[in-house]
Amino acid sequence: MASKLGYSAAIVGIGRCMTKRDDAEKLTALQLGSISSAQAIQKAGIKRSQVGAFFTGRCPTSYRTLQYNQTLLNELKIAPIFNTEVTAHGAGALGTIELGVLAVNSGLCDYALCVTNEASGVWLKDKVGQNAAGESNPQFEAPFGPTTPSLYAQVACRYMHEYGATSEMLAKVGVESRNWAITHPYAAMRNRGKITIDDVLNSRMIASPLHLLDCAVNYPGGISTAFIITRADLAKNHPNPTWIAGFGQQTTHEWISERMGAYDLDPIGAEPNLTNTGCATAAKQAYEMSGLKPKDIDIVQTSAPFSFVHLMMLEELGFCKKGEGGPFVMDGNIDADGGLPFCTMGGYLSFGQMAQGLYNLHETVDQIWGQAEGRQVPDAEVGLVHGHGGILASHSVMIVSRERAA
Amino acid sequence: MSEPAIKLEDWAQGIPMRAGPVSLGLYQPSPETMEYWRGIERRELMIRHCGHCNRFFHPKRIVCSDCGSPDLTWKKAAGNGKVYSFSEIHRAPSEAFAKGAPYINGIVRLEEGVHLFTRFIPDPGLVKIDAPARLDFRVLESNWLLPVFLVG
Repeated sequence: MASKLGYSAAIVGIGRCMTKRDDAEKLTALQLGSISSAQAIQKAGIKRSQVGAFFTGRCPTSYRTLQYNQTLLNELKIAPIFNTEVTAHGAGALGTIELGVLAVNSGLCDYALCVTNEASGVWLKDKVGQNAAGESNPQFEAPFGPTTPSLYAQVACRYMHEYGATSEMLAKVGVESRNWAITHPYAAMRNRGKITIDDVLNSRMIASPLHLLDCAVNYPGGISTAFIITRADLAKNHPNPTWIAGFGQQTTHEWISERMGAYDLDPIGAEPNLTNTGCATAAKQAYEMSGLKPKDIDIVQTSAPFSFVHLMMLEELGFCKKGEGGPFVMDGNIDADGGLPFCTMGGYLSFGQMAQGLYNLHETVDQIWGQAEGRQVPDAEVGLVHGHGGILASHSVMIVSRERAA
Repeated sequence: MSEPAIKLEDWAQGIPMRAGPVSLGLYQPSPETMEYWRGIERRELMIRHCGHCNRFFHPKRIVCSDCGSPDLTWKKAAGNGKVYSFSEIHRAPSEAFAKGAPYINGIVRLEEGVHLFTRFIPDPGLVKIDAPARLDFRVLESNWLLPVFLVG
């Protein structure tokens, strides 16, 4: 039975603006965000004066302003009554939509605009150093010289130890992500061809146990995605609303080594550990809100910057049992050819990671409306999108549906 | 490598760390962690303790996670622990750290029950989960004196 918030709102307009590495014209995050937002408003068929709520993901690293939400609002000439930047790392992208659902159901406004945007390439010179700075505790981790892969690798180390996952199992995710990416015209690795498990294992070690091809590629360009959300009674007036069936979010920590100071919390349990994440809580809420179960999901996108995270998320999203993500993928269950449609743009590993991954929601909407050219999944009606950020710190799960449950 | 000069009383200035042109942040001793950094100067690892709950905490804790008391005291850790997790870093975050690569960073579980991020140094054993680890102090590539753990 769906809860009161289940199917209470829908996506009625989407905008997207993207640039590739080789495009002659580079666009800033603010240009991308402005263009995609205006497009979403136009596609929803509303006036800018009707945007009552405005939520943005965290400030783009390539366009630092004190209050980026205000910067973009100023560009769009909108005047929302609710507006804020949503942090929670990459989980904040879906977090903008979740706040949008709450805002339009408050009775105080009709439409919410939710946007993330980021650009790379010409602005970011040193992603390794910059990411290490952003992801590690400045006093208790950074002085030891960690990198982002090495911080995630702490979890990989425990996951492989506790559940027996192998490097081959991790590599399989990279192989299937690439199989999807070569079908997407904007994917970072679209021209690099298919890869094998051996290719992943033979790629150079970045931070054990993670090889180069176990790691996400930073998207070499810029992406902004914008959504207009409205509540059920208004959504019926719009063509092809995509229903937000359910959602959930949880954040458990900021720094990975201090995650080991957390205990007596769901879903961690009584003893500190690294392998139970907030994804499980977020998924449980999303399933309960929607009245749906994992078997009802036709297509899945996870936001996972390293191969092993996909295995953990498949487990926590309920597609297989805890610890069985490795055997699940080795048995062909996420094969691009015939498995569960999984990370159908190529995921962070092969499409590229950028702008907190909100494009995964756009991709899912495209798929369930039959508009994913070249990589269309047959008969997809219900999709699940996972957003994540920090070192497995924040997780969001959203289930969207073409049909509204009775 | 020269002995680093930590200006403990000058925390507000911070000490900027950079990776090329990119700031790695300011990892200065701050008021709530000053005693931790003073301990390191003495070659002692200081952690937090709640007398009400008799529980040890990470040196950065401000209030007890169990009873909420702000009356945490500083205790010297015995310096014994086990490897909880680790990663050998081949791609370092800056030129300075690249000079030491590959090196092993990980999480140690102290016998007091506290987990800390640290550098593991094989001596003489291999770094693996649950291997015994003992406290030492080394000046790392960041030019900071830091608590590291010798494994084996």
